[in-house]
Amino acid sequence: MNRVLIKYSKKEEAALLSHRETMRSLERALRRSGLPIAFTLGYNPRPRMSFSPALPLGVAAEAEYVEVSLEGEADLESAKQIMNYSLPRGLSITGIQELAATMPKLSKWTCYGLYCVPGGDGDVFLLLSLAGPKQGRLKDGLQALSQRLALPESAELKGISRVGLYASQEEVFEDAGEPVYYFDGESRELMTIAGNI
Amino acid sequence: MSIDVFLEQELLGVSHPGRYLGIEVNACRKAFARAEVRWALIYPDAYEIGMSNLGLSILYEIINERADAMADRAYLPWIDMQERLIAAAVPLFGLESREPLAAFDILGITLQHELTYTNVVRVLDLARVPLLASQRDSNSPLVIGGGPGAFNPEPVAELFDLLVLGDGEEAVLEITQAVKNWKESGARDRSGFLKECAQVAGVYVPSLYRISYRPDGAIDSIEADAGAPYPVKKRTLANLDAWIYPKKPLVPLIESIHDRVSVELFRGCTRGCRFCQAGMIYRPVRERDAKLLGDWARELVANTGCDELSLASLNSADYGSILSLSDAIAREMERIHVAVSVPSLRTDSFSVQLASRLRRVKRTGLTLAPEAGSSKVRAAINKGVSEDDLMRAVAAAYGEGWRKIKLYFMVGLPGENENDVEEICSVARRIIREGDDGRPAKGLKLSLSISTFVPKPHTPLQWAAQMPLHEIARRHFILKEGLRMKGINLRRHSREMSYLEGIFSRGDRRLLPAIIAAGRQGCFDGWSEFFSWPRWQAALAAEGLDPAWYVERERPRDEIMPWDHLHAGVERDYLWQEYEKARAGIFTPDCRFDGCTSCGACPEPRIQKRAPVEASS
Repeated sequence: MNRVLIKYSKKEEAALLSHRETMRSLERALRRSGLPIAFTLGYNPRPRMSFSPALPLGVAAEAEYVEVSLEGEADLESAKQIMNYSLPRGLSITGIQELAATMPKLSKWTCYGLYCVPGGDGDVFLLLSLAGPKQGRLKDGLQALSQRLALPESAELKGISRVGLYASQEEVFEDAGEPVYYFDGESRELMTIAGNI
Repeated sequence: MSIDVFLEQELLGVSHPGRYLGIEVNACRKAFARAEVRWALIYPDAYEIGMSNLGLSILYEIINERADAMADRAYLPWIDMQERLIAAAVPLFGLESREPLAAFDILGITLQHELTYTNVVRVLDLARVPLLASQRDSNSPLVIGGGPGAFNPEPVAELFDLLVLGDGEEAVLEITQAVKNWKESGARDRSGFLKECAQVAGVYVPSLYRISYRPDGAIDSIEADAGAPYPVKKRTLANLDAWIYPKKPLVPLIESIHDRVSVELFRGCTRGCRFCQAGMIYRPVRERDAKLLGDWARELVANTGCDELSLASLNSADYGSILSLSDAIAREMERIHVAVSVPSLRTDSFSVQLASRLRRVKRTGLTLAPEAGSSKVRAAINKGVSEDDLMRAVAAAYGEGWRKIKLYFMVGLPGENENDVEEICSVARRIIREGDDGRPAKGLKLSLSISTFVPKPHTPLQWAAQMPLHEIARRHFILKEGLRMKGINLRRHSREMSYLEGIFSRGDRRLLPAIIAAGRQGCFDGWSEFFSWPRWQAALAAEGLDPAWYVERERPRDEIMPWDHLHAGVERDYLWQEYEKARAGIFTPDCRFDGCTSCGACPEPRIQKRAPVEASS
């Protein structure tokens, strides 16, 4: 079975769609795309697709992912175009690629999420673990960050976007400027991490 | 505060912000500034209910197809959003354009259910549009009503500048043109304009009719102003094949009550159930062509990506070539993993067979509506189903593998006594015990949904009394006691809600002050978490209104009904004749299978009904 990885962004009003609503919209666009989607078996067949970890409501995103299993060959470029006019405004497909059989599943490599937080003197980057014991909640991370940097107190998630998903901390520096703050959900500590550049 | 700034600040704090974004797939988002006629189509209830309404999505597409017009949408915001709008003094707005509703030319409000009347008051208050038609001037939008509620809008009639009776497809276009002409001529003399509108077929302008009352409370007369039609006759589309809408329906952003696309196989139903308003006001039966339906289904799925398609109508098993149509559609949909469903089924094995053939993709439950427990009461309401039919239908469903079956019953029907209600229990118990060929139906889960009979205008039972609350309470008790049994789940609809529905259903204009007062204290009366019967009792009492007078009285034959100036096609004499047959328990056959019953609904020349090719009558 082939797999394709679809990369999408979620901006403007679409940031206010819940994870579930976003999944539904993507599923509908996929059904329209002409891709030969593989379905689960049983009484209530569902498309074989998986999504990157849920985004908190209100947070925009640059690069989220859906992984879909296909039953045959597909015209990926045309599927991308169709999906782009089949989505609510603000959701758009930015990339689509076939996955080699050796490539790990989506859930295996979407371990870290990098968030861009608008600060007083330019953007600040916050990194969170999205799974495992060190998993951190965005709200807690932001609170720690505001205390550290004396950012204006804001309980809301406005203006924040998730810029990328990564398998390891090292990958992060391909996308982010320094400094990057890592919030450890277990120890609840905020630490600065640096790239190897 | 501008609407944009307000939303920017508040959306993150309300429940389901998706309700207010207006970014749905297939949203037209036409430019407000450039449109000459601007409609806001409003469903006066929550987004997730309103988005599922077929009527509004038809009109949305028809209006937006016109180059010179636009249609935007609004729903009643959830309570948390209402509070924020009021606190920020921001008016209710069109979801796509984010323009205040008061800036539109027309607010088109659908009346689907009596319990949305307070929601209409809320919508107009939130929109800051003067509530009464008589208070509005050239600066206010025209407030237009439609939907089944337009056949007796009297309790809320004075909120509307005009209402459209019957099929809206052609009427909205004619109204759009009339408004365009009026605006071009300077949009002065609103009442003169409304008088002109009254000449459009199907249009009812409440301000042109005067109602007077007798000392005993009944209506003395309904008088039309010079030039206003009496009665107002409903609009009927003769050829539905010319109106295949919607083709690109809006896709709800948040989960809605009906998350599916629908093709409407036909409009109207002549089964003749005497309680059923839809079965009377949407006559005659008009089928669509099978080939067009197949193409339409394909187009709808391609344009929305929906995973469920409904073959909709009042009784889809009655479509002339239903088996070949549904087989063809189901085969095609199976290939793309789309489930096909039929919303309403008659209680017979043919319908079960039909449902079973459709159940290729998704295994859903099966719903049957015998409506009454005893053959006596079923004869009174002209539900031509015997207990054996029901047993056979259930056995067939069980045999086909269904394990969840839902049955709809009503209590409080005319002539019904406690024994008839006991029979609901005994038939349910019999189903569980005997199931398939006399053996207990293992694993069968029977769900009984009990509603209260509410007499509806333009039906044979419009003269009948609705049962008092304590009588319904007794019936609910009988059901609860009689159905304590494994495998049976009982759901009883709120009797107070049905009682309120009964007040409005056959209500008149004197109810409006109470509705306005209640609407300013609360809304969402159809939601059990918001409905408050004591609040309503107080609101009605404060206006000196006696609910029992509206609800519990059997009305004499010659009493003038509040809707007697509105004509739904079926003649009043025919309805009375049917009422007498109800009391005598005499069956009236379906005119599609037997002869014409002369109900009066077919215009001349008589609309061609297709022959029943496969359906067993």
